[in-house]
Amino acid sequence: MKIVAVTACPTGIAHTYMAAARLEKMAKELGHEIKVETQGAMGIENALSESDIRQADAVIFAVDIKVEGRERFKNAQIIEAPLQEAIKNPRGLFERIPGR
Amino acid sequence: MKQNGCMTSEFTFLCPLAHGIHARPASHLANLANRFAATCVLTNLRTGAVADGKSVLSIIAAGVGLHDECRIHLRGADEQVACEALQRFIETDLPGCDAPLLELADGHHSQRLPHALQGAGLKAHFGTPVGRGVGQGRVVVIGGVSLPPELNDQPSAQPEWEQARATSAMTAISARIQKKLTGHLPPLEKALLQAHLAILGDIQMRDKLAELILQGRSAGQAVIEAGTYFSNLLQQSGSSYIGERALDVQDICFDLLEEIYGVQVQATPQLHGPSVIVTGSLRPQQLLALDRKRMQALVLEAAGTTSHAMILARSLGIPAVVGIKDAVRSFRTGEEVIVDANRGFALPGGAAPVRRFYEHEENMMRRRQASLARYAMAPAVTSDGHRIEVGANVSSTAELGPAFENGADGIGLYRTEMLFAVRDHAPSEEEQFTAYVQAVQAAGGKPVILRTVDIGGDKPVAYLELPAEENPFLGYRGVRIYAEHPKLIRTQMRAMLRASAFGRVQMMAPMVSSVGEVRWMRAQLGAIREELTAANIAFDASMPLGIMIEVPSAGFLIGPLCREADFFSLGTNDLLQYFFAADRTHAKVSGLASGRNPGFLAFLKQIVEGAHRHGKWVGMCGEMAADLVNLPLLIGLGLDEISVSGSEIPVIKERIAGLSFAHCQELLAQAMASQDATECEALLRQPNPGGADRASVSLLERELIVLDSQSASKEEAVREIVSMFFVQGRTQDADLMEEAIWARESVYSTGLGYGFAIPHCKTDSVSSNAIGILKLQQPVEWGSLDGEPVRMVVLLAARESDTNGLHLQVFSRLARNLMEEEFRERLMRAERPEEVVEYLRRELEIPE
Repeated sequence: MKIVAVTACPTGIAHTYMAAARLEKMAKELGHEIKVETQGAMGIENALSESDIRQADAVIFAVDIKVEGRERFKNAQIIEAPLQEAIKNPRGLFERIPGR
Repeated sequence: MKQNGCMTSEFTFLCPLAHGIHARPASHLANLANRFAATCVLTNLRTGAVADGKSVLSIIAAGVGLHDECRIHLRGADEQVACEALQRFIETDLPGCDAPLLELADGHHSQRLPHALQGAGLKAHFGTPVGRGVGQGRVVVIGGVSLPPELNDQPSAQPEWEQARATSAMTAISARIQKKLTGHLPPLEKALLQAHLAILGDIQMRDKLAELILQGRSAGQAVIEAGTYFSNLLQQSGSSYIGERALDVQDICFDLLEEIYGVQVQATPQLHGPSVIVTGSLRPQQLLALDRKRMQALVLEAAGTTSHAMILARSLGIPAVVGIKDAVRSFRTGEEVIVDANRGFALPGGAAPVRRFYEHEENMMRRRQASLARYAMAPAVTSDGHRIEVGANVSSTAELGPAFENGADGIGLYRTEMLFAVRDHAPSEEEQFTAYVQAVQAAGGKPVILRTVDIGGDKPVAYLELPAEENPFLGYRGVRIYAEHPKLIRTQMRAMLRASAFGRVQMMAPMVSSVGEVRWMRAQLGAIREELTAANIAFDASMPLGIMIEVPSAGFLIGPLCREADFFSLGTNDLLQYFFAADRTHAKVSGLASGRNPGFLAFLKQIVEGAHRHGKWVGMCGEMAADLVNLPLLIGLGLDEISVSGSEIPVIKERIAGLSFAHCQELLAQAMASQDATECEALLRQPNPGGADRASVSLLERELIVLDSQSASKEEAVREIVSMFFVQGRTQDADLMEEAIWARESVYSTGLGYGFAIPHCKTDSVSSNAIGILKLQQPVEWGSLDGEPVRMVVLLAARESDTNGLHLQVFSRLARNLMEEEFRERLMRAERPEEVVEYLRRELEIPE
């Protein structure tokens, strides 16, 4: 599956990146392809393009704050969870993706 | 109603004030009425109470409430003008007199306990700190006016007799004050005596006394009750001006009591062991009478930080917190109390968390001092080898020892005014000589710049009989008065020259604005040299003569001045206000006079360059030198010296070691090219301005890593990390930094599992971005995601205003890596801080 994700935490110094790392690792383990956009103190990195989003089978938001540019995802099915979920139980997030 | 053409010397009005005419509006009214010769009578038509419109006490006692109808009647030569003025005041200004008082200027004190003391159920009393430090002891309450019990118990005699005692005491004291007023007195003292006289003569005061005596009080009891009554009235206003009048009322009451009973009634409490004095307000004499060895701290209900007693407390190093409401009622005599003048509160000192907190803090301060000592005692040198002297400003012999203990490279400014002030004749040559030799000997071979006396203007000295001035800062002061007072200056120059035989004396003249003034000084110096030579008295023939640059004209005359003066010192306090035509004490314009204004920096630069072209030395002794934010600019200017108060020297030397002369010069050029002070300040807020290494100011250093931490809880671990930052000079405000870490922690715990926690904060209370690491000997509970205790704490501290991408990238790489088991294990296995530094540098690609 092709998955895109966004991570964002209140200070944007640490947890945003830890969650991104966890999601990337878990995706690899489960054999998915993933691109994670981080919205942290350095701004948006690894930004998801329109075609990234269009081609994705699922969207994961692991966020504690408002997602910037949410309108980009208006037609997508979004799995949204507190950022801690991505660190504690990333597998659980992937399991919430509805089967095809 | 008396009519006079269309004018009238009488009018009525309705009181528009919700709280009536209380002390504040009353004082405005009385002040205005006192500007006229005409008598002023205020009548409260509702109650019939009649008041002297020139007496605050009297007006207050008339008890004018909201919507009370009042009449003001004026009689005297200028009654019409007075009437118009008062009417205008009542129509336009009186309604605004009730506006809430502005908060104290020191509003930045957070009124919060440090994190470690929160939640311990402590009742803290917040106020405004005076001085610095922490004092602890048992409470000793000093009450208001009180009679020794044996006098208080005396039954009163016939009212006529008691009244006679009171009247004769008042007459005696009035006469005593009158006599004093005929002598030559400093204006301040005169004003005080006149105020006392006004209270004694206040009809309201006399009536109150008579009334109480008629009710059967003794003269003494009546004085106490009347005094309490009026000072309460005055203190209720909440205004510091009126508060001071209350002190005057109390003063008068003490005098009256002593006069009536012929005994001392202001007993000084005996202090047994370490004591904290708690009182309503304090007069200087009271403070001085207390046992200074046992008095550890002061707590006052009165809010003023600039009263004479508080100025004294500050200089004696007694920590104090003022403006604590109801302090006298809130603290029990004998109770153990801690007074924290660093933060501005007093709290019970017995509890275990409080003891631990202050023990920890004392230890942290000691370590900070030890860390600073390494810099203090060595010359200040930038990372690229540029040296600058850091001198001390002093104004008395007592400050010399501490200045050199703090690492002063010399005395950059010895203000000699203290020798001349508060006395009725100028100090003798011998007296001055002794003081100057003490300075030179304390310096032990280091230079001492003695400034010749800067009096006149705002620093009047009674015995010179200089006339009062409209605009003292632009008037007859400093070097300008010397020619008319040749004996004064020649005595001083002689004393300085003689002291030069004992060490490195440099003489400096204040307020120079023209070359002629320096020539005049030179000529005097030449004549005195000849005198001393003739009398066979030793002196240093090469003693330099320099000048303060504090008048802009001098700054533009550097070339010609270099032919006459041997050195220069920038007195930025006056220089700034003259340069910008902005009074530094005027709240509305003082902001214009910024040392960070590019125009002013350019001015300083041409002075320094001009002096250096002629091989002359230039220092800076004004307040601009003491502001750490300015330091990169001052280094960039190429100053030979900066002189600050002694206690600031170690931090400044520490900071200089981390700067680069080349980078500071670049920064100064940018600052001079900026548009205004605000733009310049933005430059100074960049990461590490003028710093030795702009890319990676040791984001990571050995000193911020502890691998055998004894901390036994999350709270202790956070405090330990914050302490490391404080000791290394990475934060100037440990409380704020700690608060920021806990603020983040309150969102959700930063315990990420696997025994790791990654607390972080984004706050400008840290001076540069950094990583701190603790390995705990015993795991502590952190509220982690996996519920397991934490063994390794990695703290990321970022400056809020620092968007340095490089540092944040390192932080994000560190966060990502912490998700890797191998990375965590390597960190956990490390045995020495150096190992951690080396490993992280490599793994996180931190530039060396």
